[in-house]
Amino acid sequence: MRLLTWFGLMALAGLAVSSGRLDVALLCGGLKAALVGSEFMELRHAHRLHLAVFVLWVVGLTSVLLVVSR
Amino acid sequence: MWLIVGLELLTFSLVFVMLAAFRHGAPALFHAQRAALSPAFGLALTVLLVTSGLFAALAVEAVRARRVARARGFLVATLVAGGLFVVLKLHDAVALIRGGHHLGVDDFWDAYLLATGFHFVHVVVGLGLLAWVVRVVARAPVETVAAVALFWHLCDVAWFFLFPLFFAGA
Repeated sequence: MRLLTWFGLMALAGLAVSSGRLDVALLCGGLKAALVGSEFMELRHAHRLHLAVFVLWVVGLTSVLLVVSR
Repeated sequence: MWLIVGLELLTFSLVFVMLAAFRHGAPALFHAQRAALSPAFGLALTVLLVTSGLFAALAVEAVRARRVARARGFLVATLVAGGLFVVLKLHDAVALIRGGHHLGVDDFWDAYLLATGFHFVHVVVGLGLLAWVVRVVARAPVETVAAVALFWHLCDVAWFFLFPLFFAGA
């Protein structure tokens, strides 16, 4: 599962660069952060509150960055 | 450690929002100056950080399974990948500064050098913690190794937002 996550992170990094668009790169950044949080930081197995706070932070930050940089 | 990571993520968030606002407020300056940055170089840095993050996660898994030698191997691999990130980043900073892109030149280079420098300091601290945990992994509790890995993943996560703000569209 961790190796699969790594491949997903690589694919998202490649997509972020190849798109050349800030909004796509920011969305990829948010997805990568969620993947690392869930799998590498083991939030998937942690208390639901921890997972919820982290996901809220990722979604909130990505949304704010998308709005501010428009 | 979660409290520290949470506070760090909030601090990084403020930096990212200020960067996004600056990018929005000075598009011409941003567009002109970021041409000196290479997205391929940014991608290489991302690959190193993500790969080191994988090794750190595998190290925690190995410690949990009481496989000390395997855990130490993964921690050393994390150190090597993180060390390569530091070497590349230092090389980049020196090349930029020698090329005249230093602090005080304009707002773009101030923002780039300060924001990536702030992230760089975290990576160096993370490497220090990893080097320490490599030495004590045989007798350290799982929680200690997991806490150090957590700090290392913070560097990953912060880079995921820093990277697009400077490199996307460069």
